[in-house]
Amino acid sequence: MHDATTDAGAREAQGSQPVAVSVLDVSMVYDGVHAVRDASFDLPRGRFLTILGPSGSGKTTLLRLIAGFQKPTKGDILINGTSVNAVPPHKRSIGMVFQRLALFPHMTAAENVAFPLKMRRTDARKIPERVDRYLDLVKLGGFGQRRIHELSGGQQQRVAIARALVFEPDLLLLDEPLAALDRKLREEMQLEFRRIQRELGVTTINVTHDQREALVVSDEIIVMDHGVIQQKAEPSRTYRSPRNAFVASFIGVTNFIAGDARSLAGDTVVVGVGESEWTGVIGDKACPLNVGAPVRGAIRAEQIRIARDGRALEGAGSRHAGIVSDAIFEGERVVYEVRLPDLGDTLMRVFDHGPHDTIAVGDEVYLGWNPDDVLVFDDEAGHP
Amino acid sequence: MNAPLGKTLTLWLLIGIALIVLSAPTIVVLGASFTSGNIITFPPDGLSLKWYAKLAGARALWEAFLRSVYVATVCTIISIPAGTVAGVALAKYGVRFEKTIQTYLLLPFTIPLIGSGIGLMLVFGNAGVLGSLWPVGLACCVINLPFMIWAVTASASALDPDLELAAANCGAPPLQTFFHVTLPAVMPGVISGSLLMFILALNEFLVSLLLVDARIVTLPVHIYNSIRSIITPDLAAISVVFIICAAGAVALLDRLVGLDVFLKSK
Repeated sequence: MHDATTDAGAREAQGSQPVAVSVLDVSMVYDGVHAVRDASFDLPRGRFLTILGPSGSGKTTLLRLIAGFQKPTKGDILINGTSVNAVPPHKRSIGMVFQRLALFPHMTAAENVAFPLKMRRTDARKIPERVDRYLDLVKLGGFGQRRIHELSGGQQQRVAIARALVFEPDLLLLDEPLAALDRKLREEMQLEFRRIQRELGVTTINVTHDQREALVVSDEIIVMDHGVIQQKAEPSRTYRSPRNAFVASFIGVTNFIAGDARSLAGDTVVVGVGESEWTGVIGDKACPLNVGAPVRGAIRAEQIRIARDGRALEGAGSRHAGIVSDAIFEGERVVYEVRLPDLGDTLMRVFDHGPHDTIAVGDEVYLGWNPDDVLVFDDEAGHP
Repeated sequence: MNAPLGKTLTLWLLIGIALIVLSAPTIVVLGASFTSGNIITFPPDGLSLKWYAKLAGARALWEAFLRSVYVATVCTIISIPAGTVAGVALAKYGVRFEKTIQTYLLLPFTIPLIGSGIGLMLVFGNAGVLGSLWPVGLACCVINLPFMIWAVTASASALDPDLELAAANCGAPPLQTFFHVTLPAVMPGVISGSLLMFILALNEFLVSLLLVDARIVTLPVHIYNSIRSIITPDLAAISVVFIICAAGAVALLDRLVGLDVFLKSK
């Protein structure tokens, strides 16, 4: 678990490292449609950044612009302080692991790993030793003579990683290489990426739509939607303080309560839904709310408690009666869907880790939560 | 599986007829070549290998055969670079006027062979090269190139576009990428296309007929000339040798890239 002090520590470490990649006001337009719009960020050397977003959010386009496969319509990309807009991809010092791996099928594993060294005119006598070292790094020592199709999916992943790293690039790009793997192998490879990245200290940009992967592997997360960067922050901050409703909905299991802002006092907002009211805090302090404006409150499923007896939830701050409409057994927990008639029939998802067999579909239950956990966002923001 | 008996019977009957029609010419020629008589007949008039023995001594036939091999070789050597580059370019790069170029490259198919043959005869005649053998190879290349382009295009279209980006990412400039990554990847198409070009040029008759003179006849032209005077079974025997060459090329193709790849490459 991160806390405020380690976040501050991370920022300090970040400040002491020179910037490896700068993206300055970059836009990419295809046929009049913005795939990326005015993206800007700095990435200090040695950091692991994940660009997280749904498909079509522009995350892969941004990665390909950095790799040099396409030129941005507008803006500048700097690597180690130098603009690379005019530098073709083969002259950039960037290693990349592709979504479909793009290993050369007519070469062995070792020939694949040796290819970047040959192309970069490394001393031929040093190549075999270096190839072996990197195959060892990805735990494929002894597999060098195998053809690509003779390797399993996980082993092919490892060859692709070795090929991307063997020439010691300034920057490593990962274009959703884990998307096609089954869950167990994917989680194993996530930790493997993390281990190798820490071992070599190479600056890394990873693209994924898997929120869990982003939280597990990254030092920093950029959340993108509709070509626009929605938030850039450390994983714990992204999770705890999403900047808008989109970020809140994309990461974690989040419930939304709609309504109109009725009164504001400091950070606290009272929101009305028909006859009843609920309370929350302003989600984005940089974006003030107006009384009367339509808003959405976001609260994580794990921050809600559920009980058959309302008295068990005393001290919860907010308490509402509801009807269980579904119960989904997920093994270590049960997810209840509860309809709250006094909050405009809002459907809330709640986790229950306790003894599972006490609540059934159709039961009347109470939900309780702390009003400080409800982040209130302007309904328009984050919805381009 | 549980199709009614009548349907199964009809199906097998159709397959049987198709097989007989398709293989009849080959069987007839094969049979006729083993005759012990002096004229081509089927079924053969007794069995012997005497016409094959006679072939071994027939210099004119062998020279014509070697000329055909030469023509096929010239055709293949020209078509490999031309067809490969054109095929890869059409499949992979946003070439301008792509549709127009594709139509243009397919034009040789739409013009009757006799037309393109006369055209080539005029062109080569003006250039003063009529009477040499290599223009025949070039002509075969021109009229059959679409086959080569198709074979390469099929291979190149199946290629993962990220493969070339990965090569660039590894530090390979465009030319190195082509030789180290693109070319090996489209190799099945190049091999099947060039073997096809070889067989087609080896068998080419009509255009050769217009471009060769009496001193440099290719085998199909030689056979044609011979049957106009007297039909002897040695022509059947040389035809069998011819068929074996083509079958050998197909077997080679199967060994190198697999027939399934070839059949898929349109």
